[in-house]
Amino acid sequence: MSEFLDAEDAALLGASLAAAMLAAPGPDEADQALNDMGWPDLLAAAPDHGAAIAFTALGTTGSAATLLDDVVAHALGIPISPSVCVLFDASLHTNPAAPQPGDPRNLIEDNPYVLNGLVSSRIDRATTVLIAVDEFPGTEVAAVEAGLLREPGATGIDPDRAYRHLSAQVPADAVTPVEAEGSWEAAMTAARIALAYQLIGGARWMLAEARQHAMDRVQFGRPVASFQAIRHKLAESLVLIEAAESLAAECLRDPDPMKAALAKSLAGKAALTTATHAQQVLAGIGFTAEHRFHLWLKRMLVLDTLFGSARYLSTEIGRDLLIYGTVPRLIQL
Amino acid sequence: MDPETFRRDLGAWLDANADELTPPYDGIASMNEQMAHYSLVKRALYDARFGRYGWPESVGGLGGSPLLRAIVGEEINFRGLADPNAWTMIEVLAPTVIELASPELSARLVPPFLRGDEMWCQGFSEPDAGSDLASLSCRAVKTDGGWVVSGQKVWTSFIQYSQRCVLLTRTGEPDSAHRGITALLVDVDSPGITYSPIETMHGRLDFAEVHYDEVFVPADRLIGEENGGWQVAMDILPYERSTTFWHRGALLHRRFSDLVAQLSDSGDLSELTAKTVGEVFLSLVAFRSRSRDTQYRLANGQQLGVETSIDKILITSAEQQLFEAVRDLLPGVVEFDEDPEATMWRTHYLYSKAASIYGGTAEIQRNIVARRLLDLGPES
Ligand SMILES: Cc1cc2nc3c(=O)[nH]c(=O)nc-3n(C[C@H](O)[C@H](O)[C@H](O)COP(=O)(O)OP(=O)(O)OC[C@H]3O[C@@H](n4cnc5c(N)ncnc54)[C@H](O)[C@@H]3O)c2cc1C
Repeated sequence: MSEFLDAEDAALLGASLAAAMLAAPGPDEADQALNDMGWPDLLAAAPDHGAAIAFTALGTTGSAATLLDDVVAHALGIPISPSVCVLFDASLHTNPAAPQPGDPRNLIEDNPYVLNGLVSSRIDRATTVLIAVDEFPGTEVAAVEAGLLREPGATGIDPDRAYRHLSAQVPADAVTPVEAEGSWEAAMTAARIALAYQLIGGARWMLAEARQHAMDRVQFGRPVASFQAIRHKLAESLVLIEAAESLAAECLRDPDPMKAALAKSLAGKAALTTATHAQQVLAGIGFTAEHRFHLWLKRMLVLDTLFGSARYLSTEIGRDLLIYGTVPRLIQL
Repeated sequence: MDPETFRRDLGAWLDANADELTPPYDGIASMNEQMAHYSLVKRALYDARFGRYGWPESVGGLGGSPLLRAIVGEEINFRGLADPNAWTMIEVLAPTVIELASPELSARLVPPFLRGDEMWCQGFSEPDAGSDLASLSCRAVKTDGGWVVSGQKVWTSFIQYSQRCVLLTRTGEPDSAHRGITALLVDVDSPGITYSPIETMHGRLDFAEVHYDEVFVPADRLIGEENGGWQVAMDILPYERSTTFWHRGALLHRRFSDLVAQLSDSGDLSELTAKTVGEVFLSLVAFRSRSRDTQYRLANGQQLGVETSIDKILITSAEQQLFEAVRDLLPGVVEFDEDPEATMWRTHYLYSKAASIYGGTAEIQRNIVARRLLDLGPES
């Protein structure tokens, strides 16, 4: 957190944000509490570093606060507000259940906008949804009235329905351009760095749970932490988490779209690998609804899809390298 | 000197002297050719001063941050100018000798090493002491004015090119484990040392079996304390995993660029190729980011320790993934082709198998992470 806060202050800030998240019963209350603590000022003063601290706390606490909408809006150059939410890009197949052209459920005759992405739970109370568009001069952003997009109640895997799949069509006249100085590329970069931190925070929580369980759980007369198969799984997780944290920090030092995509990819890989290993170490208790592990597993799956999954992003970058035929060094001493 | 200026000046000098510095062979050469060219490059860098930065003045250096040494190796490897394995030895052994041997000894012995006039090797492993290094048994017995060493070492890389060897010996009781080990800097041409090179599976004489038969080593050749050899070994490991890894990472990056350029020329944009290439790149970048942090910690004077096992695990998996990708994406090249480029890929492919063995095996690294970084208590 070098230029912005020293490590100690960053840790203090992270701890107080985490405490506020834990004290809030739901996303609305969490958003309110974080607003009161000055989240908007933090984002304005230090968008990347501030988001890194707050999203790490989201990951370690499992909070469903809807800060990602603010990160994206801010990077687009649009004033943040609890009534503004964003249609996020995500790794999704096209929903075969969505109305297709010619479908009798499809009431929109000509030139509808097809929307497919993820929205946060902020959609429940927002008035405006920001979407990416490419046909308006001078802006890449448009607004759709949130009321048109609130769906009745698809459940999804996320424990708090923190993010939902939105697949809809709206008539062209419901889409109005919004003045925005920022680009989606910048917004995507900011979002990916923030999400990388949330995935890392989540991975650290899962690793800590698994480690404690391994130390406490006795089988064959000794803690299961003494078995090498268990130790190596946990070691593997830590290695990936540390690498992901290093690359995320590199993004704060010297942000760049390719680096941010790689950081998101690596953090996703770290979180998913840690989830698999932690599940195995927790064994039966980790398969119950009672143990909180499953909440993290499910949240991590959802976060991984946001703005490109681990696998999608690395494949896309692989393709870019093949197209250009050269490999950047990317990180310098 | 700031790293960016240094890199620019160095790059300009390397480009201007490319004729002299470019290896006279294509792809992979014999050990003799590689070692000769390594010495030439090292000497040229020394004479042009670039090779002296980052080393203390007491050993012929010009001072400055160890980052500068990382940069020299990086630029050499990106340009494919010298074999990184030979280069490893100085980065691994010299810092510890400078730190822990007597100043007079370092001042006398390190400068020729720095100039590329000499080579050193590392005599740690024994037939019965591999991963369990602390069980080593090659004995050193105190005598008038020094020690007498008897025993056997194995896998001693580069000994046939070396003038000196950093040797771990047993000076305590046979079962004294890490408490009874002493490190000595031994002249390879001392009477009583015989070695026979061992051919590796990639067809080279990389290392040797070495016999020590009542070899006299003068008292001033002590590194660290008597019975403090374990500390010396522990001091060496982080060096092995900082500057040297940055160099090796640069070589891997270079080879990866070669692979991507070749695939790109062939117009292969398939999903499977893109996925494989992307995954390798992710692993290389993950290592490079971690290693950058480690270079800065070293440069800022922080004590490196067991956390460098993470660097080791990351570079090992990046290297092995890279050369498996070469085999997958250039089918048959590793197995059948004979042109210099194919020989290069085959050599790298086979050598990458050693990455999870030397310098502490993949399993030992994970044991360290589990015990020391995750604090999981003793193993059963
Ligand atoms: C190319 C190359 C160059 C080398 N250069 C040098 C050199 O210059 N100087 C030098 O001194 N040595 C050198 N070595 C030797 C190297 O350090 C050893 O090979 C290494 O330490 C492993 O020892 P070993 O081969 O005896 O394997 P062993 O220790 O016998 O291991 C056999 C297998 O058992 C596993 N194992 C052992 N203990 C444990 C444990 N506690 N938990 C889990 N698994 C375990 C290992 O991981 C391995 O898979 C070199 C090796 C290679 C391949």
